[in-house]
Amino acid sequence: MDLENQQRVKDAAEKNGAENIIVVLGASEAESAGLAAETVTAGDPTYAGPLAGVQLGLSVYHAVEPEVKDAVDADVYDEQVGMMEMVLDVDAIVKEMTSIRSQYSKY
Amino acid sequence: MVHVCTVVPISLTVGANRIVPAIAIPHPLGNPKLDKKEEKALRRQLVEKSLKALQTEVDGQTVFEG
Amino acid sequence: MSKLRVVHYINQFFAGLGGEEKADVRPEVREGKVGPGAAFAVALGQDAEIVATVVCGDSFYGENMDEARKIVLDMVKGQKADLFIAGPAFNAGRYGVACGDICKAVSQELGIPVLTGMYIENPGTDLYRKHINIVQTGNSAADMRNAVPVMAKAALKLARGEELKVPEDGVIEKGIRKNIYRETRGSQRAVDMLIAKLSGQPFETEYPMPDFDRVTPNPAVKDMGKARIALVTSGGIVPKGNPDSIEASSASKYGKYDIDGIADLTSDAYQTAHGGYDPVYANEDPDRVLPVDVLRDMEEEGIIGGLYRYYYSTVGNGTSVGNAVGFASEFVKELKEDGVDAVVLTST
Repeated sequence: MDLENQQRVKDAAEKNGAENIIVVLGASEAESAGLAAETVTAGDPTYAGPLAGVQLGLSVYHAVEPEVKDAVDADVYDEQVGMMEMVLDVDAIVKEMTSIRSQYSKY
Repeated sequence: MVHVCTVVPISLTVGANRIVPAIAIPHPLGNPKLDKKEEKALRRQLVEKSLKALQTEVDGQTVFEG
Repeated sequence: MSKLRVVHYINQFFAGLGGEEKADVRPEVREGKVGPGAAFAVALGQDAEIVATVVCGDSFYGENMDEARKIVLDMVKGQKADLFIAGPAFNAGRYGVACGDICKAVSQELGIPVLTGMYIENPGTDLYRKHINIVQTGNSAADMRNAVPVMAKAALKLARGEELKVPEDGVIEKGIRKNIYRETRGSQRAVDMLIAKLSGQPFETEYPMPDFDRVTPNPAVKDMGKARIALVTSGGIVPKGNPDSIEASSASKYGKYDIDGIADLTSDAYQTAHGGYDPVYANEDPDRVLPVDVLRDMEEEGIIGGLYRYYYSTVGNGTSVGNAVGFASEFVKELKEDGVDAVVLTST
């Protein structure tokens, strides 16, 4: 996750309380989704940004996960995410996200 | 071929035979600190050196310094 | 035994100072660990402590190697270090060269164990592998979690005076010949190898041929006034908007662009697509990377026969060696067909 976004997430967590934040990702692959998810939970694994060594433990989901899909109006979801849902490797993304959450999410 | 580049050791390691050291990484053939005219003159100098390198017989890797 | 004093060298990006716009920062010392130093601190455990971190801009080091080396050496000397670790640099070229260079200097001048890590294709690898130990890493910072523990383990081994082994310790082969004793005579072993080879049996060479990848220099251009000169760049200069979407890093393609009638590259028509250097100066005036203005003048003045109508451009940032070779092999054919006599290749 780039430095600016790391800072934004950090600020939002500080301002609103980590337990009140959910991060929703839109990465196109499981690996990049996993890296971003790890960044907002266990800390920046590349040690390059503001979240290096900062364990926010935030709730984090990817837009194609059922938890997000079920929480959104079906028509809106279909219009905004439907296309990508067809071309992304949803299973791989769900697997990666679940793994990160179970290891590092606190909320 | 003549390679105009800043980090000469890299050019040597990849095997360029005619190398001309450039000014800086973000502006190999320029210098934003100079005024436009001076900068173009500097660029011209470097290109002239490069053409000279192309016209020079070399046995192996050669760096055309100063 | 007291804790090992470790000094860590990193670049401006991993120190959180910024990206390319900060690549020119001069070396500075920070107390304790910074950035990835935190990961090393965990991996090194109780036996070692990062007492200081030296931060230096990649472009500062790359453009002022002698000066930078001296400044950083003095900083390391001042810390009474027992062990020196640089990077890891992954596939960042300038960073890898800086890490390799400073490790070599620290090893030679201060005589303490040194270690760095980078991707096999990083130019720093070939430049410094003979002089220092380099741990092989993946090609991006995403590999940090794997690289750090391997580097930490290897560094502690070096600090204990042990030698590192390939491939167990994860280091790149140094390519240094060592004399050893064998039971059988060389002539016997050579014949055994030949018989195995002739009968299609597996055999192991005792001396892998180094891949020199050198070419014989071309003869000089005889008559520049008649010569057709082509421009090629790895600096990523492309028409504004980057119509071919050449990637800012790990380019998978190159572009061929028509400069017929163009006397000067300007910021409204051209830009750089390269993500590995501060683009401000190249975007202001693309001639600073691709000197069309000067060559056009020289064409008019008759100093060169002509500036080839097309220029070829790609982004040399983390571009795989395989791709680079592939691109050039392809467009060189066109250059030759069109009677180009010589190429000026510019890199950042």
